[in-house]
Amino acid sequence: MERRFYFLAGDVLSNALVGIASAWLATVIVDPSWHMYAAMLAGMAAGMGLALALLPLFVGLFGAMEVMLPVMLTAMTAGMLFGMEGVMHWLSTPGELLGGGMIGLLVLLLTYGVDAGMRGRNA
Amino acid sequence: MDESTLRKWDFAAGFYDLLACGPERRWAPEKRKLFANMHGKVLFVAVGTGQDIRFFPPGRDIVGIDISPRMLAKAGPRAANYAGLLDLQVMDVHQLEFPDHSFDQVVTSCTFCSVPDPVAGLAALRRMLKKGGMLYMFEHTGSHVFPFNLMLDVMTPIWRPIGPEMNRDTVANVEKAGYEIRQVNNIYLDVVKTIIAASPA
Repeated sequence: MERRFYFLAGDVLSNALVGIASAWLATVIVDPSWHMYAAMLAGMAAGMGLALALLPLFVGLFGAMEVMLPVMLTAMTAGMLFGMEGVMHWLSTPGELLGGGMIGLLVLLLTYGVDAGMRGRNA
Repeated sequence: MDESTLRKWDFAAGFYDLLACGPERRWAPEKRKLFANMHGKVLFVAVGTGQDIRFFPPGRDIVGIDISPRMLAKAGPRAANYAGLLDLQVMDVHQLEFPDHSFDQVVTSCTFCSVPDPVAGLAALRRMLKKGGMLYMFEHTGSHVFPFNLMLDVMTPIWRPIGPEMNRDTVANVEKAGYEIRQVNNIYLDVVKTIIAASPA
């Protein structure tokens, strides 16, 4: 797992921001009249598109694969879940943004966990 | 010379240093550790804008090649500051112009994500190595773990026009090119890794 503060902070910032932005975008573009599967797919595509646009900034600051992989997973997951939320409207807007940020942090923690298990291991 | 690869990397030379700033800082300790193995006559493949030169141990005898003249133009001032012998040449890894068996070591850094025919390129490099010569690689590759493999497959066609492939099995390519794998060390997941291999004696 990454132990340098600058990169740890960068990982947290990039995943939380992409999670929040993907959740927001998914709920904005999805209409409550949409079919659930269409909303999930549209949210996922919107989140991933947004993450791709932001990636050059985060990569230039914090790293390549270590940033790309969790950020894209965050965008995919947050976009999909909040596309669904756009149909159901269980949460208020602050709740949606908080949820997006939490998904980003959760994805990052899971990625750190998998990385800790694989790091240094001879493949 | 592979013209499309040359054009791609000449174009990328304009923004490469901006994008590479984060990765190079993050990977600095691991690259320094790998490059500390440099000994004898060394061929460094795809020197790019020379970001890796600061990680070279001093006093080595290195030839650095790259397909892109624009990349090498940016590498020039960094090479001039290297405390050792460092000769930069424009060259395609598929059309190497050195005599066979003229290097003790070949070193690559994020190279075989971009070489159009990686197995042919690695085989060409093996011919440059003396018998028993060593190959040291710092590379990003595809993953065998879901969902990272899915993400890398999705991102490869998006990234390909301006940058590297994301889903190559470089360890398998090294074996296919006739090297003996000595060590594979995961740096990040099973995606960023160092590979140490030998040309059969």
